[in-house]
Amino acid sequence: MDYLALLLPFMLEGTIITLKLFLLALIMVLPLGVVLALARLSKFQPLNVTTQFYIWVFRGTPLLLQLLFIYFGLGIIGINIDRFTAAVVAFILNYTAYLAEVYRSGIQSIDQGQFEAADVLGLSRWQTLSRIILPQMVKRVLPPISNEVINLIKDTSLVYAIGISELLRVAKIAAVRDALFVPFIVAAVFYLVMTAVIQQFFKWLENRYAYYR
Amino acid sequence: MHILKATDVYKKFQNNEVLKGISMQVDKGEVIAIIGPSGSGKSTFLRCLNRLETIDSGSIEIEGEYMVKNGPDGKAVYSPEKDIAHMRLKMGMVFQSFNLFPHKSVLENLMMAPVLVNKTNPATARETAMMFLDKVGLSQNGHNYPFELSGGMQQRVAIARALCMNPDIMCFDEPTSALDPELTGEVLQVMKDLAMEHMTMVVVTHEMGFAREVAQRVIFMDEGLIVEEGRAEEVLINPQQARTQEFLSKVLMAR
Repeated sequence: MDYLALLLPFMLEGTIITLKLFLLALIMVLPLGVVLALARLSKFQPLNVTTQFYIWVFRGTPLLLQLLFIYFGLGIIGINIDRFTAAVVAFILNYTAYLAEVYRSGIQSIDQGQFEAADVLGLSRWQTLSRIILPQMVKRVLPPISNEVINLIKDTSLVYAIGISELLRVAKIAAVRDALFVPFIVAAVFYLVMTAVIQQFFKWLENRYAYYR
Repeated sequence: MHILKATDVYKKFQNNEVLKGISMQVDKGEVIAIIGPSGSGKSTFLRCLNRLETIDSGSIEIEGEYMVKNGPDGKAVYSPEKDIAHMRLKMGMVFQSFNLFPHKSVLENLMMAPVLVNKTNPATARETAMMFLDKVGLSQNGHNYPFELSGGMQQRVAIARALCMNPDIMCFDEPTSALDPELTGEVLQVMKDLAMEHMTMVVVTHEMGFAREVAQRVIFMDEGLIVEEGRAEEVLINPQQARTQEFLSKVLMAR
């Protein structure tokens, strides 16, 4: 019990880093994914092809490698950013690619008739997207998006590689120092609590969108 | 005086020529039924009239303005987008599959385009919407969402939604084909009421009874061509062409 009292403040500090990273990445990634999905669906070939290339690169290499590239690689070419910024940038670049594909599947699942109905009523492309297509898309992608969001909070543990003291790194340091397994159990509980909150949030969102079929 | 005129319309999907020179003229207040077997190009032709599909050559004229006409090389050239947008608003469209916006209530479905496109103030748009809902017999259903309504009711909402934009011409693309047989009557009744008020209507349909009763003119299409056209009773009761006779006997036998 005494040990836990000593351990918990450190673990909480680590958790705050984890949450900061997670939330910063999340609020950027959710809208950017939509922008990238629209670029991917663009009929303007250069934009479309560039987007496909981007998605290929960022889905096609490990997130850990991207993290190392951004932190150390930028340093080599003379751009110095702090660890935390590097981590946030890496997560944004990587997760935007994944979310774009989720959003794209959502947009493409919407019946062509919805576009046509908006078109014959005279709605502009932007009105069609913002009033008709995207609101319906959101409902459809909630389950896969909750997957990605849960992955994101777990993936934040990768930033140990550039020396950021997030939850898992703090736990590992304590476990090694004290030759105890307890910190890992505490870390597991922390992650489970955070993912439980995310799950509940998405459940609530799905219920909010249940008013129509 | 014609309100809509299509001349020599050709349309290909890849190598499949679906319209091989269709011409049609619609007078103000006239109701025209386009009938024909599936794959005859009748729906495609209707969709070309308000540019849901683009044509390869020919011309389409709405209220005296060209939406599209042939350039010097004989290929169709469309008018500037701004002019076309204006012309398209004169045409209402009702789809086979209703295409209501599922995430919006019935009233919101009706008010959306008037408010967003015509910049009508919401209170006025609401009044208009209620008036048309009443007209299609759904004044009690403004707050419902589309999924809560039967197919027939949804199609009546779709008709009301098109009417809210105050169109001069209404196009119907097989409006009852997706409905259970017992629900077609209520939709056809709404369309009959519209015809009685001298709305100009172009209706692609399999409902021969409706065509005979309501349409002044029937056009029979097959394989991308108009095979026969004329007054409804002439084409439907006393068809001259063998293909029309064959089609009608099949359709009527199936009843």
